[in-house]
Amino acid sequence: MKKVVTTLVGFTVLMQPLLAQAAAFSGKVTLADGQPAYGAMVTVFDAAGESRQTVYTAADGSYAIRTPYAGKLKVRARLAGSPDTLSEQQASATGSARLDLALGKFADQTAMNESLSASAFNARLPWPDVKRDRPAFVSQCNYCHQMGNSWTRIPRDHEQWIAEVDKMEGLLAMPSRAQSATIAQTLWKGFDGKPFAAQQNYGASAELSRGKVREWLVGDGYTFIHDADVAKDGLLYGTDEGHDILWTLDRATGKIERYPLPDIDLPRGGIFSGMKLPIGQFTGKHGPHSMAQTSDGRIWITNALSSTLMSFDPATKQFKTYQVGHDSLYPHTVRVDQDDIVWFTIVASNQMGRFDPRTEEMTVMRLPHNGFIRWTTDMLFPTLMRIGSWFPDQAVHLNLSTHRFFGERILAFPYGIDVNPVDGSIWYAKLYASKIGRIDPRTMEVREWDTPMLGPRRPRFDAKGIFWIPAFDEGGLMRFDPKSETFETFRIPVVGKDEYETPYALNVDKKTGQVWMAANNSDRIIRFDPATRTFFTYPSPTRVTVLRDFSFTEDGQVCSSSSNMPAAAIEDGRPNFVCIEPEGGAADRAALGS
Amino acid sequence: MALPTRPAAAWLFAVLLLIGAGLTAFFGLSANGYLVPAAMLAIMAALLWLGRAGGLFKAVAIINLISGAVLVLTLAFGDVLGDRKLDVSGVALLVNLLTGGPLLGLLAPGLLLGLRTGKALNQWFNPAAIAA
Repeated sequence: MKKVVTTLVGFTVLMQPLLAQAAAFSGKVTLADGQPAYGAMVTVFDAAGESRQTVYTAADGSYAIRTPYAGKLKVRARLAGSPDTLSEQQASATGSARLDLALGKFADQTAMNESLSASAFNARLPWPDVKRDRPAFVSQCNYCHQMGNSWTRIPRDHEQWIAEVDKMEGLLAMPSRAQSATIAQTLWKGFDGKPFAAQQNYGASAELSRGKVREWLVGDGYTFIHDADVAKDGLLYGTDEGHDILWTLDRATGKIERYPLPDIDLPRGGIFSGMKLPIGQFTGKHGPHSMAQTSDGRIWITNALSSTLMSFDPATKQFKTYQVGHDSLYPHTVRVDQDDIVWFTIVASNQMGRFDPRTEEMTVMRLPHNGFIRWTTDMLFPTLMRIGSWFPDQAVHLNLSTHRFFGERILAFPYGIDVNPVDGSIWYAKLYASKIGRIDPRTMEVREWDTPMLGPRRPRFDAKGIFWIPAFDEGGLMRFDPKSETFETFRIPVVGKDEYETPYALNVDKKTGQVWMAANNSDRIIRFDPATRTFFTYPSPTRVTVLRDFSFTEDGQVCSSSSNMPAAAIEDGRPNFVCIEPEGGAADRAALGS
Repeated sequence: MALPTRPAAAWLFAVLLLIGAGLTAFFGLSANGYLVPAAMLAIMAALLWLGRAGGLFKAVAIINLISGAVLVLTLAFGDVLGDRKLDVSGVALLVNLLTGGPLLGLLAPGLLLGLRTGKALNQWFNPAAIAA
């Protein structure tokens, strides 16, 4: 529970004009013992509570933040290990105030537990054999949402957990029956609601205190903005897979607009109408998922549920739909190559899509099957999904799916994709088969490599042609050099004892070479510096932060969308667009003379 | 009247069908849709063991083989069917499973060869014809 403590030590209106900024605050944050709070987040909320900005304190506890907000504002200090401190400030449009904030102590262990990230809770789950049993849980539960946040750790009895796991299977989780039973049993025993001792350390650094985070709330509790992408017009676009909406955000003004996708002659849930899709979760038919932009300005969207590719013209606001393939299931991540060809993975049918916007020619190619059993599954899975659609919302076809006895690894699941800037080749990651592959765009020749860590998810190239791959199932980062064909692996540092991390996606800032990664189990964003082989942690100001892709602005910000499923489980009860400005905090300090 | 001796082919295929039924039923414990072909395999094993309902036995084997072939051909070359491709493959899959599933499909060629006139399985299912 948030304890509102108004600790205004000094409030000095300096009345210094600040261009394009309004409320500005600077001061110090201290711990309960009076010592400086290092790495604490100081967040200023706008008067309407629709957006906020955050900076991090330096080693001496100091901070400085400029915001565009005015009026009655909330200012919050947050640090792992301490309860939040909240202050209300009346800010003028041109003023700068000194505001010192003191963190207190938790009343009890239960209150402390409420401040922990999901990772602290799922670290305590009593797996019969953690190496054998946890991977299926990480792979099949953590990819949609955190497990262990306040929404998902509610104590349930054994039968209720079995029902929950079965419900998730109806949403495309693919554990075997044996894995389902183990997961239900472990969650029943582990999420018992009893308070426990824990300590989390988010690794404050001088780098952290230079950063700044901006967030804008968007949509409702069932908005599911899978990906966010910065387009050439500077707007941030978001694909709402839950509601068939394309959202846009103007970061300068905070203006959010929505563009509903055109209707299609499919039932709710699209081709996946046979699945048990909870009302409100997937109310749409298209399921817009990922985006990429061609040089003519058109934005290309993979529609996972309708198995279509769609273009959106930002100038005319018009959509156009293209069929992908008769047996293609779940077009996933999309990228554009150097010749303006649109490439996208098709996860559930192990295919790759290629679309030429000039000729409007669509080509779907099968990727290597990786064994007879996977071949059988690849070939039959679309047919099973069609059978399921004859019995809407029943998920009857799951009773014929081979994942029930083999688990999710029965599928190859080509997932993330990127274009090598050095030679223009197309590279992808097979999530469940744990492989990466290369396609020669001229000959269409395919070659694959096994990855040393399991669960390669959404990889990206850096400017030099090094392939960076997040290992979701093992909490790692992989570096692959296509020239030497060698891998290098890194373990992502965790924030607490026995915890693990789930890096869903990454992107490499082509200008700085920095690798930005999601760390969805512990509410943080990770930056990896390849030059020094060092990880830096940016704690998210928002509890239950799940990020699925990153995009960069011209001025060096890294942006994403918070897309835990459902968004109602996020701290605000709604998702947000989020941008991190690596030098934004430093700029505010300089401007405020702090 | 002496009962005809059960031919070796009937022994062999009945045992194989029963093993297939057990294996499919094992999968059916996780995905219960497979209990349907498991049951059909068990019925086929029983019919073969008893030498009863030869016409039905043969018809099921033929339908299974045809539906399996339609399924494979549709998946491999069915793009010409357009949006109907998965409808055709879906019906073929369900029919194939109702008639014993892919394991029966593996045994069906041997069974149908054995069911030709004059062959041991045919005589086993038609003892009256032998007596005549």
